[in-house]
Amino acid sequence: MSLLAYAPPRSGDFTVALLVRLRHAAIGLLVPLTLVLVWALASARGWLPEQVLPAPSYVWQNLRDMAASGELAQHAGISAIRVAVGFAVGAGLGLLLGIAIGLSRPVEDYVRPLFTAVAQVPTIGWIPLLMLFLGIGETLKIVVIAKAAFFPMVVNTAAGIQNIPLSYREVAAVLRLTRWQSLRRLVLPGALPSIFTGVRYSLTKAWTALVAVELLASAEGLGYLLVWSRQMFWLDTMLAAMLVIGLVGYVMDAMLAAAEARLQAWRIDA
Amino acid sequence: MANGELGLQGIAKTFRVDGRLLPALDGIDLQVTPGEFITIVGASGCGKSTLLRIIAGLETDHAGAAVHDGKTIRGPSLARGLVFQEPRLFPWLTVEANVALGLENAGLSRDAKRAAVSEHIALVGLTGFENAYPRQLSGGMAQRAAIARGLVNRPGVLLLDEPFGALDAFTRTHLQEELQGIVAREGITAVLVTHDVDEAVYLGDRVVVMAPRPGRITRIVAVDEPRPRSRTAAALLHKREAVLAALDSGGRGRPEPRRLDAPDEPLRQPAAAIALQGAA
Ligand SMILES: Nc1ncnc2c1ncn2[C@@H]1O[C@H](COP(=O)(O)OP(=O)(O)OP(=O)(O)O)[C@@H](O)[C@H]1O
Ligand SMILES: [Mg+2]
Repeated sequence: MSLLAYAPPRSGDFTVALLVRLRHAAIGLLVPLTLVLVWALASARGWLPEQVLPAPSYVWQNLRDMAASGELAQHAGISAIRVAVGFAVGAGLGLLLGIAIGLSRPVEDYVRPLFTAVAQVPTIGWIPLLMLFLGIGETLKIVVIAKAAFFPMVVNTAAGIQNIPLSYREVAAVLRLTRWQSLRRLVLPGALPSIFTGVRYSLTKAWTALVAVELLASAEGLGYLLVWSRQMFWLDTMLAAMLVIGLVGYVMDAMLAAAEARLQAWRIDA
Repeated sequence: MANGELGLQGIAKTFRVDGRLLPALDGIDLQVTPGEFITIVGASGCGKSTLLRIIAGLETDHAGAAVHDGKTIRGPSLARGLVFQEPRLFPWLTVEANVALGLENAGLSRDAKRAAVSEHIALVGLTGFENAYPRQLSGGMAQRAAIARGLVNRPGVLLLDEPFGALDAFTRTHLQEELQGIVAREGITAVLVTHDVDEAVYLGDRVVVMAPRPGRITRIVAVDEPRPRSRTAAALLHKREAVLAALDSGGRGRPEPRRLDAPDEPLRQPAAAIALQGAA
């Protein structure tokens, strides 16, 4: 939802709605297309050596080859599973701890200092230590990704709950809502916008962590592909991997936005 | 209903604002008998909302004793309902769901709940808006939804903080009648804060007049007029003058006090202007 462009809703006019959507999509594609154009121009004119910047057609060809051979699907599939499991575990636990901190002052007092300190250490810093305990198998990857997804989820969930206005909490008190009732009717819906912010950050962090952990301890996956192709100077493969990661990230963000719109119908014009 | 008795003895409440102490209430004594309808008027900032919040159990850090049916009030209770000065509807719930919040703990069956909710939505004239979200309501409609939420579980003591302030004259009159009917039928003890002296006198068995700095009761005007009352009954007009006079003399040092009883003298100023003086 753009805050700047306000168009009064014209209900029932499908052609208008369709045109508006097409226009929106066209605007969103403008910058990427321009970039591709400049890219094509740059390689056609030889502004940069081919080893540094291969032509778009070349990258496209490579992408199609990798897709056809099943190599791309294999790498993408492995990465997607790692991110999905790590994110589910990390964000799920983060949601629970965030709720506990948001609801309970004592929990916050006990957990917050350690939590803040630990959160300052970048994910990469944890990998060597975790390798000692977990080896370099699949568990390590899941744990690293989960840890990355965990922190933004805790912080945003707790903040969302703590920012619920006192005036609403007083309503819940006067109506004598039980813990569970106020969680369902007040706390979770009230914190939802903030929780969604947490989910989006978590997902981004999970992808970043994926690349980091595949770089250090993997022989497959998109992150591995990215790092390996860079080291081998297969820049067409590297660019292809970047495109796929970007595309997957975009699709996941769009899915989250759709879920958010559904869950928060009360904020958005019908 | 035999219960619904309230006792306030020596209630005092001090807020700390910016390191300074601000006395909001001092020496409030009031006995409310079961089924009585108390109305409270007083200048803005004289502690009316604070007093209601103390009775509701939201404000427990105060001096003096607040007692409901012999038990000291230590927190909110389903036996005491509060309609806040602002609607405070949950923005993520529809009108219907907001009103239903009042019945979360009523132990009714699903069908009984639904019936009670739609009955109260109809009562406040919001039929057709059951599925609207609060942001789709006008201020007065939101306030009416909040009234329905406060009324729907029929608490023994009903506390209302300027419930009709945001309403047009027609709707206000209608809801005053409805409220009076429900309170009388169910034997509810009601405490209603208002800036409208006509409303205070029309609804109240007793009108409590308060003055600010510190918030205190300056006069209690008993309105013995039997119900159903006529808004234009001479007795009510006289009581209204008594309340206005008390409001005026309780204000910040008007030089010449007005007469407290002016039985046969018609009002010379328009009522609204006088009410504003009292409320300003
Ligand atoms: N939470 C609070 N913290 C500090 N001061 C407060 C607080 N609540 C109320 N006060 C102060 O207490 C006094 C009484 O406030 P209160 O809201 O009870 O007045 P009121 O009579 O309801 O006014 P109005 O008619 O405008 O609603 C005011 O001076 C106000 O500034
Ligand atoms: Mg008030």
